[in-house]
Amino acid sequence: MELSFSIFIAISSLTFMTPILLASVGEIITEKSGVVNIGIEGILIASALAAALTAIVTGSLTLSLATAVLTGALIGFTHGAIAVYFRSDQIIAGLAVNIIAYGATVVSLASIWGAHGASPRLEVYTPALNVLGYKVPFISLASILIALIAWYALKKLRVGLALRACGEDPRAAEALGVNVNMARILATTIGGALAGLAGAFLAIEIVGQFTRGIAAGRGFIALANVAFSGWNPLLAIVGAYAFGFLEALSVYVQQHALEYAYIAKTIPYLGTLAIVALAGWKARMPRSLAKPYIKE
Amino acid sequence: MMLAMGESGLRKVYPVLESLAALIAGIIGGFIVSAVLGYDPFASISLILLSGFGNIEYLLSISVPLTLSALAFIVPLRAGLFNIGVEGQAYVGALAAVYVSSLTGFPLPIILAPLAGALIGFLIGVLRVYRGVNEVVSSIMLNWTLFYTVSFTISRYLRDPVIVHQSVRVDRMLSALEALLIALAITIAVHTILYRTTLGYYIRVMGSSPEALKYSGSSESRVTLTAMSLGGVLGGLAGALQVYTVSGFIDVTMSAVFGIGFMGIAAGLIGRATAVGALPASILISALIIGGHKLELVLGAPPELADVMIGVMMLALSAPYALRLLSSKVLG
Repeated sequence: MELSFSIFIAISSLTFMTPILLASVGEIITEKSGVVNIGIEGILIASALAAALTAIVTGSLTLSLATAVLTGALIGFTHGAIAVYFRSDQIIAGLAVNIIAYGATVVSLASIWGAHGASPRLEVYTPALNVLGYKVPFISLASILIALIAWYALKKLRVGLALRACGEDPRAAEALGVNVNMARILATTIGGALAGLAGAFLAIEIVGQFTRGIAAGRGFIALANVAFSGWNPLLAIVGAYAFGFLEALSVYVQQHALEYAYIAKTIPYLGTLAIVALAGWKARMPRSLAKPYIKE
Repeated sequence: MMLAMGESGLRKVYPVLESLAALIAGIIGGFIVSAVLGYDPFASISLILLSGFGNIEYLLSISVPLTLSALAFIVPLRAGLFNIGVEGQAYVGALAAVYVSSLTGFPLPIILAPLAGALIGFLIGVLRVYRGVNEVVSSIMLNWTLFYTVSFTISRYLRDPVIVHQSVRVDRMLSALEALLIALAITIAVHTILYRTTLGYYIRVMGSSPEALKYSGSSESRVTLTAMSLGGVLGGLAGALQVYTVSGFIDVTMSAVFGIGFMGIAAGLIGRATAVGALPASILISALIIGGHKLELVLGAPPELADVMIGVMMLALSAPYALRLLSSKVLG
């Protein structure tokens, strides 16, 4: 195999891994608290639009990232609040979030830019290192750091213990003096915020504009990664890199075998399915995942 | 009136009330989004709500494949399984219908297409039972994989000689009445399976209490595989009927079938996960979808505004407790 090919794949996998890793870490935090949010696909889409719109209107990268994170946090908060206070079926609610986000962003595309498929190109870029002639965005490195911090906080800190207690045995958590409902809403909000950052990165660094249904299943690939990692942010880094690799490979094949572009596009999805199906270990999910906590 | 109906009567109308409340929530959601994005909310929402009912024959022909999609979602749902893979099952069903139609004529395509869907449903079941893969994740991965695989197959092997991005056409179309009769027959069949057979009994037991299933003589693995395969049969049929009653062909962007699985989820929920509720709920959703397209023609607003309304309806139905909370606050 050619060296340049290997280098291209190895380095661009870091870029492709970033949204998956950010969304995965966010979802791990959310699920550890006992809430499942399959609406992260929708959060990716909505925050990508928020990032694109802000970037085009203000030209500011900082503002663009900030609005995307806020958008994600707001949707996460809403999902968490509905799950906690209205005892929603969290799978159905998440699917609904995805449909609403897809629909509302397509309507926005038409309303804001008069476009059916895509926004204008974005002129902002995130700062990056240059490694062997390829860009490695700082956000990609930051995403690894965020995963490390999340692992440390969940495993070693008191706040992590409290959060895990909410997902395992909310009654015991309440006895420890933890406000379970608050903790769950907060965790879902943080998870949403991280998915929001992922959405901004997707629009700015990976696609370069907002496109209809921009997430293209990445939210669900992140969910696959959460299960693959066994709810461990450290393993989520490994998983996200593998999924990033699949996407880099897919892009490479699409560019070099045009005839088989459709088939190349299936690589990330089939590869993800193969990884989660073949992974040898089966970690146990948080015991009270997706179960509302009802105080007597 | 309320008193005369008594407790059990109230319990029977409650699901209908919840669906109505969801519709109102959907209208409010659509109203807000259209107003914020600069479209006239009154004109937009009334177009979406009403114009779908202008042509009943067209409305019915759109509703029939959607009914099948709703049934494909609710059969596994009754066992506590989320068949999000109806979308992909419909893709392969549509492809199988077009392919078989190019070899032989009606009705063989409609009979064989469900088998293609069943394979996908079975695969999702196998991945869950033997590899512990959550069915929502595997479904979405398969949906995307099948999307591109079907696109590839059409562009390579089933291309229309004149319009290159389309597949060849099927040999004939079904009238709205023929399609409706098929949908009614399948609805009765699904209702019968759910309530009059041991399989249906096991499905419902697993849905309400997986623990109890162990003592009832079946196993979670067996019910999962059967319910998902049955969901796949119905999903494949949804795709085939979409081709045979609505589009006549499929294209490389899958636009003829795209979204049918997700709208089926909405219809299944609005029909409160019952077989008999699937058709009326599908008629309502279809009316909104047609209304969305009318909206585009008349006001130039995107038809996806209808998707937003349907999504908000789903969100409302995800939390029936909200309505209970609200009504207990209002009624005291």
